[in-house]
Amino acid sequence: MMKPVIVQLLGLILLSEAVLGAPDFTRDIRPILADKCFACHGPDSNTRKAKLRLDTNDGATAIHNGVAAIVPGDLENSEAWIRILSPDEDEVMPPPDSHKELSDTEKELLRQWILEGAKYEDHWAFIAPRKPALPGNAGNPIDFFLQRRLAGEGLKPAPLAKPETLVRRIYLDLTGLPPTPREADAFLADKSPQALENLIGALMKRPSYGEHMARYWLDLARYADTHGLHLDNERSVWPYRDWVVRAFNQNIRFDEFTRWQLAGDLLPEATIDQKIASGFNRCNVTTGEGGSINEEWIYRNAVERTSTTVEVWMGLTAGCAVCHDHKFDPISTKEYYSMYSFFHSTADPALDGNKLDTPPVIRVPLPGTREKISKLEDRIQEVERRIKEAVTGIEYTDPADLQDPPKPTTRDIIWIEDEVPAKAKKEGNTPWKFVGRPEPVFSGEKASVREAKGLSQHFFTEANPPLIIEHGMKLFTHVYLDPANPPAQIMLQFNDGSWEHRAYWGEDRIDWGKKNTISRQRIGNLPDTGQWVRLEVEIEKVGLKPGSKLNGWAYTQFDGKVYWDQSGGRITTSPVADPAFSWKAWKAQKESDRTRGLTEELRKLAGAGNPAEWSASSEKRLFDYWLGHVYAGANAVLQPLREEKAGLVSEKDAIGKETAVTFVMADLPKQRESFVMKRGQYDNPGEKVSRNVPAFLPPLPARPGDRDYNRLDLANWLVDGKHPLTARVAVNRFWQQFFGTGLVRTSADFGTQGELPSHPDLLDWLAIQFMEDGWDIQRLVTRILTSHAYRQSSVASAELRVKDPENRLLARGPRHRLDAEVLRDQALNLSGLMVSTVGGRGVRPYQPPNIWEPVGFASSNTRNYKQGKGDDLYRRSLYTFLKRTAPPPFMATFDGPNREQSCSVRGRSNTPMQALQLMNDIQHVEAARALGQRILKEGGTNAADRIRWAWRLVTARHPDDEESRIVMKALETHLARFAADPEAAEKLVAFGESKAAPDIRQDQLAAWTLVANLLLNLDEVVNKN
Amino acid sequence: MDPALEYHYLQSRRQFFQGAGLKVGSIALAQLLAQRGLAASPPAGRDIHPSLPGLPHFAPKAKNLIYLHMNGAPAQQDLFDHKPQMEKFFDKELPDSVRNGQRITTMTSGQKRFPVAPSKFAFEPCGQSGILMSELVPYMKGIADEITMIKSVHTEAINHDPACTFVMTGSEVPGKPSLGSWLSYGLGSESQNLPAFVVFTPTVKNPSQALFTRMWTSGFLPSKYDGVKLRSAGDPVLYVKNPPGVLPRDRRAMLDALGELNQKSFERFGDPETETRIAQYEMAFRMQSSVPELTDLSGESEATIEMYGPNARKPGTFAHSALLTRRLIERGVRVVQVLHRGWDQHGNLPKEIKNQCLDVDQPTAALIKDLKERGMLKDTLVVFGGEFGRTAYCQGKLTRDNYGRDHHPRNFCMWVAGGGIQAGMTYGETDDFSYNVTENPVHLNELNATILHCMGIDHSRFTVRHQGLDQRLTGVEPAPIVKQILQ
Repeated sequence: MMKPVIVQLLGLILLSEAVLGAPDFTRDIRPILADKCFACHGPDSNTRKAKLRLDTNDGATAIHNGVAAIVPGDLENSEAWIRILSPDEDEVMPPPDSHKELSDTEKELLRQWILEGAKYEDHWAFIAPRKPALPGNAGNPIDFFLQRRLAGEGLKPAPLAKPETLVRRIYLDLTGLPPTPREADAFLADKSPQALENLIGALMKRPSYGEHMARYWLDLARYADTHGLHLDNERSVWPYRDWVVRAFNQNIRFDEFTRWQLAGDLLPEATIDQKIASGFNRCNVTTGEGGSINEEWIYRNAVERTSTTVEVWMGLTAGCAVCHDHKFDPISTKEYYSMYSFFHSTADPALDGNKLDTPPVIRVPLPGTREKISKLEDRIQEVERRIKEAVTGIEYTDPADLQDPPKPTTRDIIWIEDEVPAKAKKEGNTPWKFVGRPEPVFSGEKASVREAKGLSQHFFTEANPPLIIEHGMKLFTHVYLDPANPPAQIMLQFNDGSWEHRAYWGEDRIDWGKKNTISRQRIGNLPDTGQWVRLEVEIEKVGLKPGSKLNGWAYTQFDGKVYWDQSGGRITTSPVADPAFSWKAWKAQKESDRTRGLTEELRKLAGAGNPAEWSASSEKRLFDYWLGHVYAGANAVLQPLREEKAGLVSEKDAIGKETAVTFVMADLPKQRESFVMKRGQYDNPGEKVSRNVPAFLPPLPARPGDRDYNRLDLANWLVDGKHPLTARVAVNRFWQQFFGTGLVRTSADFGTQGELPSHPDLLDWLAIQFMEDGWDIQRLVTRILTSHAYRQSSVASAELRVKDPENRLLARGPRHRLDAEVLRDQALNLSGLMVSTVGGRGVRPYQPPNIWEPVGFASSNTRNYKQGKGDDLYRRSLYTFLKRTAPPPFMATFDGPNREQSCSVRGRSNTPMQALQLMNDIQHVEAARALGQRILKEGGTNAADRIRWAWRLVTARHPDDEESRIVMKALETHLARFAADPEAAEKLVAFGESKAAPDIRQDQLAAWTLVANLLLNLDEVVNKN
Repeated sequence: MDPALEYHYLQSRRQFFQGAGLKVGSIALAQLLAQRGLAASPPAGRDIHPSLPGLPHFAPKAKNLIYLHMNGAPAQQDLFDHKPQMEKFFDKELPDSVRNGQRITTMTSGQKRFPVAPSKFAFEPCGQSGILMSELVPYMKGIADEITMIKSVHTEAINHDPACTFVMTGSEVPGKPSLGSWLSYGLGSESQNLPAFVVFTPTVKNPSQALFTRMWTSGFLPSKYDGVKLRSAGDPVLYVKNPPGVLPRDRRAMLDALGELNQKSFERFGDPETETRIAQYEMAFRMQSSVPELTDLSGESEATIEMYGPNARKPGTFAHSALLTRRLIERGVRVVQVLHRGWDQHGNLPKEIKNQCLDVDQPTAALIKDLKERGMLKDTLVVFGGEFGRTAYCQGKLTRDNYGRDHHPRNFCMWVAGGGIQAGMTYGETDDFSYNVTENPVHLNELNATILHCMGIDHSRFTVRHQGLDQRLTGVEPAPIVKQILQ
């Protein structure tokens, strides 16, 4: 036990060195006061003891009962100092029951500070950053600031990491996926000075970049797929998740990114994406628990949104001020509730109703819709091009111009004969009844018959193909009225999507539709009884137009017995007089007929006066149109093309209509009154408040004349460039993402209880540069990734480990365990199993039984986990359905937050549960088998080559001889074992839904599966190095 | 990361970067490394679940905690809080002087009447202590002299989700560590091959209320302090089983290679996390045999099995969980939590509560006796209770034999037994309707403070900085320990 003593002595020596310099208020004094004194002598006016506050100069030097706590430069008259030294339990500060004690070092610092004038300074993070000056030869500013501090500590940065280490680091950091060997080779071979920047730029264009960056933001946004409380039913807000992915890929400026999420709904003429983005503050947990009290949940939801917004954009822990003035930061409860008031009038209900679509929501296109529609539009254009070609190829002579003009011809299209048309769905007051001879039959084998008292009918719908109405068509049927029991009325009804096309004969007993219109048109008297009579209806009489499609037909009667037979449409064609055959006849029509169905432009041409006076160019254009769209002689050629086009158009329309619901933000029409809620109790309102921001921050601009401040004003205020926190907080989080720790380690707390920045000048420089670059995230990321600090080797000497265990000084590169999602995605990616579809509703990959079930409510719609199939098992982890009360184990085991509240930094634990999961989870074992299969097929022909290939694949570097030897030994053990036990091999390679390749020996594959399992568990593979 | 290091980071950040610059911090760390023997010696042989430096704060009375959580809120009037006076008020309005304008849930706030529903169950004084219990819990009657019945527990939330979150984390708002996570973070565990904190969620016939993983997860603490679920379906511990066709010796061969290669990685990068990882893979391997050994009941005597009741051998039942709980405690696990669902009787209470008691009564009593017989009860604190109580007035239709009760946070019964707790004591009292506490109220924060006290922890000093606040299990308000129930 000698060692600690020695180290301790050494510690004291260094310690005294540290206190030789003058104490700095921000660095040395304020933390002591905040920790030891502010709970009773700080900003919170309610719990302040002895009316003394030590957080301001005025407070500390004010005279109470003849004494001042601090008299600058005068220890003997500083009551605080006297109390600190007091041996009396009732006098000493801090008092014993506070469990706070001042160390000797702290006392010494306070002593010196008082002696030197007890100077107060404002908290660094509440003063706007100023861009620090850089010397002309500073080089990369990031490295300038870091190396300046390193030099002060007597340290040097590490050399650059090996290119193969760096390339894997960059791929993992930008896309969350490792490089392929080919990608690694390409980078290693690129010797140009821009190689790194080119790679970064290329990776940022990949969807995987958006997906990976989105992950971090979704932790902040506490995004999940269930409501989170009580029933924990599914909610639909995944279009928001997909928007975040797009936003990073599109590199939306951070100030816009902010406005859209806090107030996208309030932007003028908000786009769909802006509305989707406003779902940020709908991602909080909500409840639909029976018995809940509305007022409580309106209050709670507003508090949650306020605190989250303040934490995410301002890096402050405002939550304390819900119940009392903040103990450490200058946020009073009144100021807190003034901010809360911005979120207190949102239009969502107090309780979520346990619904998928708790309002307000919008419907948005499904992912991939744009791409699918654009593809279909291309195909439609292609068909149109072919139609045009076909039209151009038509050689047309007007029939009227022929020497021997063709005679009119007549043709019946028989639609109903002995049976209804294909696909037709038969219905009727009583079923259809077909009879054969000797009963009356007009043609074929059968006629349908009906005997009725009053109104009765038989009919069909959904016939396909339909009967297409043509120009001049007459619809016909044949009837036989029973002389012994004639009807009072008979009626035909035609359905082209609607039944409002009726023709009747005889009395007017059936009162459907409107008399003397197309919906109830009298054609004539009842035909004679006892004989077959043909009835005809001109299409105009019942309002059917050429091109309409009949899918249904009804035989209707009032009283009597009626036989119905052969029905359909008759076309009479007189090419000379028919506008569908004769261009001259078409031109000669009255203007209203001619222009029907034309585009606006063509209608103008066709409507312009007498056709005889048309200009040659007008006539040509109209003629071309007529040939392509009207001329019936071209039907044989054009109809298939038209049908092809119609099919594509309807497919496009259908895709456009497929939508998903997503939660959005909206405000109530009438603003709620907001109050300070005393002690944070929802039913205990105090002073009324109006929307405002805390006084220690820059003020909001002048209130707009005609309305109150709203969320958009708040968002604009955050990103107007004057706010001291927004840019610092944002750049610090991006820094944390790449280096593992922020320049301010407490990335969610920039207040006085948070940690000071390790490199204040660097933080300010980055923050201001970020704003000067137009809040350009990709540019910021590129700046960070091209610094020496990021590119240097992460190898650390034991000495450096002890001196800087957390790597805050960055004398070496970042190295840490990969996040939950990256570990799973890496395994899927390396194995070749990954399905890289972007976006959509959360999927349900492998999950052990009894994760949801033992916690879920009987009536919850997320009680039973129903595992997905096929692609769903292999999507990126970002798309896994997140149930808040029972998160997927691959997330929970590896420190993934359960998204119940905003999370700015994840833990990085190192546990046996993680080892078990990476070794035995079916997802990882299946990936190992698929990787084993790849090794056997792609990795060369002998074991040594294969091991080298596989090692390179998973680590991006080649193994050394010893590493190869160790793997070889394991392989040989596994090969021998599975050769001796083929049943075990069979079981192992059959694990998982995907199938092993049948052309590989199972014992071989089983052994390589365990080798792949070993490789995927390597420390170097589960880490970014 | 090693808890000792983490503790250092959490506790001394200010010194580290603010107090006197980096130098102080690194020296303190070096000191710590040396104290923990980390600087020189490899991790082999050191505790898998070490305690924090300085903990326990004082000699503990209880080394382990068993928390039997009755989820949904058992009706105290029908189990432990005998109110014969309610008989006279059958179907009469609960006097206004009793209800006193207290808030009620929106499930009954629409009711026109609040008729008193006396319990239909018979009570008797039990054991030498005379603690009152109803006929619903015949076996617990037999352990009356081992427990302290607290009749005056109260909480804040009136609905399940926030109340369950509160009873286990000391906060209604999700995001805080659970009691078990706090304890495994602070005290670690003696077990070298089992987790420090184990959770059971036995299956019940009618899971009418939900559980939430936040009741046993670590909130803002590192996730390694999560409770590990022992499961009745699938692997007993997640992923503890090798894949099909893989034998322990295959895994051993793979781990031998992995250990060698990771040792090389450690030499290459010098990252202490790599050494921890090597140790954790070895721990995982040990769990692969210790977990099956744990669940193998062949070494238990018939008498013991019988004592836990007919379901003792049936995985997924409360009885089986209770028996495994004893086995876990025997093996040095620090905290075991059993969460039994189905106690939310808004209607049909007499029938349903009977079924609930059939599930838990005998195994619970057996667990206490079993611990006592093995001399373990004196080191083990056992807690039994729900998240709040139930109302004196009826919800829905009231008859002599059938009634329902709504949520009631103002008072309910919990009992505690074992390490450091008085045996055979009743503490606290309520009014004639079990509607208000009349003496010795015990807030849940105070109960939690008392639990920590028994485990050797001063709750007011057991803090972690998060969101700018020194967070503790027992909240920011004072929470005095309940000294009267301590031995």
